Amino acid sequence: MKKQAKQPKGPTSRRDFFKTCGTIIAGSGLLAVGGYLAPRSSATEGDSMWQIDPELCLQCGRCQTECVMPVSAVKCFHANQVCGYCDLCGGYYRANVKELNTAAENMLCPTGAITRKYVEDPYFEYTIDEDLCNGCGKCVKGCSSFGNGSLFLQIQQEICLNCNECQIAKVCVSGAIQRVPVSKAYRLKDKA
Amino acid sequence: MKRLASISVLLMLKARAFAVARFPKPDFHSGYQYPDIVHTVPNETFWSWMDLGILTLMLLAAVWAVHRAKSRRIILGISLVSVLYFGFYRSGCVCSLGSIQNVALAIADPGYHLPLVVLLLFLLPLAFALFAGRVFCAGVCPIGALQELVNVRNFRISRPVTVALGVIPWIYLAFAILYAATRSQFIICRFDPFIGIFRMGGDIGMIVFGVLLLLLAVFVGRPFCQFLCPYGALLGLFSRFSARKVEITSPECINCSLCHHACPVDAIRPPSRSSREEAAGKGIKRVLLYLCVLPLLTVGGALLLDSQHDSLSLANKQVRLLHLLQTQEETATLQMAPEVEAFHEMGGDVQVLEEQVGHIRQQFHLWSLLAGGLIGFSVGCRLLRLSVKRTRKTYEIDPVACVACGKCWSYCPQNKSR
Ligand code: SF4
Ligand code: SF4
Ligand code: SF4
Ligand code: SF4
Repeated sequence: MKKQAKQPKGPTSRRDFFKTCGTIIAGSGLLAVGGYLAPRSSATEGDSMWQIDPELCLQCGRCQTECVMPVSAVKCFHANQVCGYCDLCGGYYRANVKELNTAAENMLCPTGAITRKYVEDPYFEYTIDEDLCNGCGKCVKGCSSFGNGSLFLQIQQEICLNCNECQIAKVCVSGAIQRVPVSKAYRLKDKA
Repeated sequence: MKRLASISVLLMLKARAFAVARFPKPDFHSGYQYPDIVHTVPNETFWSWMDLGILTLMLLAAVWAVHRAKSRRIILGISLVSVLYFGFYRSGCVCSLGSIQNVALAIADPGYHLPLVVLLLFLLPLAFALFAGRVFCAGVCPIGALQELVNVRNFRISRPVTVALGVIPWIYLAFAILYAATRSQFIICRFDPFIGIFRMGGDIGMIVFGVLLLLLAVFVGRPFCQFLCPYGALLGLFSRFSARKVEITSPECINCSLCHHACPVDAIRPPSRSSREEAAGKGIKRVLLYLCVLPLLTVGGALLLDSQHDSLSLANKQVRLLHLLQTQEETATLQMAPEVEAFHEMGGDVQVLEEQVGHIRQQFHLWSLLAGGLIGFSVGCRLLRLSVKRTRKTYEIDPVACVACGKCWSYCPQNKSR
């Protein structure tokens, strides 16, 4: 650098001049982008997680197949406060079930993730085993069609990798998957 | 046919997933208590700031290793940490490469909420490149680091091929911006070949591609960095003007050409004498010619891509939906695509959709002009760069291509004798 300063003309000093110009332009470019976008982004309340809006979800079945996780990060949640504790549960039994017993062919859930517990006559409590659930949404569809709609799909945030672009959101038929702030990481039906 | 469709729509409307209280809330007599289910949320805010902090620390460490310590070993150490932490532990999301798209979308759409961490993720490595060269690529980027760690040999690709393939990252960048700005797809995330390896699962096609690239990386230095990475293209641009260049050796170069053969990305230019003797006027004429061609290429690229904007816009979900609806109507099949079914089920209005699609098409119009221009411009710049011949007395690093991996220093005999 110092040597070149002594000979102000010539290709080297010209190149240095261009380089300095370039540095300044590139630097101000960075500052411009940063300055333009920084005020619009806040540190805490950013929409930084993906979640399903159960009001929009149509249980198209893509949650099960499109998630990047081997077993989808979407799980069935159960709002007990909304549940009717029905004996003939639309989410538990297949649509035209003959006998109300726990034989496998009567079950709606393909992975056997729903367990049923007798509470008192005539009520039964239903619980989802999230480790088994694959987010297919069959039970949700059943419960929404015949019951109170207390089953609903949610992205289990502990499992979700928080992809930059959720692969399910990209193909969700009803646009139900959106970014939400951390404070509203779940859209629960019983704690609306 | 339409009639039929609307009847089935009515039927389906009933099946919507609202909580409808068909059965009353049970009143329990046995003292049953509702179970208290707590859904835990990982501390995403903490982790994203943690990632940013570690990224900054590693960038600083890389600057130190590249410019002060000049130690390839430290760089390899940083690479290992990066692959393990950013790659396998944090499984790669969101990274600086992907952040290009978030930033593009935020610029295009003021309604999009860009988290500050993502913005910084985008800016920091570029700022570092402006001051100290591509230290991010040296070992901080898990994708580059992974390829660096598996590389054992370098079969040299001929220079014209490298230069020609070098425009792919710019094309990739242009399309990434186009699709992100129009809210269509994040193609950098979709086609990231290494994310599947880091997560040990995911799209099979991409994993196969990633493994093949890694195998290639054993014999050819950093194929992804050289011929695909869109962020690398930006980093190279900033690194060209960087205040501090990566240097092979501070003692005098003895032109032994060892570094030239060591460099995995072919970033070292051999000494070339007397290009200026090639009739001074001729060189300048060529440069002037290319300078005239540059705007032509830019405009040509812009118009070319813009002429395709209608078909490009099919990448957008809404546009595709309208397209599906229209083909449905034309062919009048009863078999409805799930998207169409959902559209009717939600009581969608075709007119509203058409309006939206019109708006999206307009955006495609604008952004495909810009993206096409960018592609044309980068091709032109490449020609221009090739035509400018410089006199070099010693082996010199081309800051645009150099990923600061440090191989050349460890090969330089002058550094060893120190
Ligand atoms: S039916 Fe599907 S969504 Fe419901 S619990 Fe079983 S696996 Fe989960
Ligand atoms: S963000 Fe990724 S991991 Fe989470 S639900 Fe979507 S695809 Fe699955
Ligand atoms: S060129 Fe791209 S992939 Fe390679 S190290 Fe740099 S940022 Fe990472
Ligand atoms: S540091 Fe040296 S060997 Fe490594 S990329 Fe740069 S010029 Fe090539």
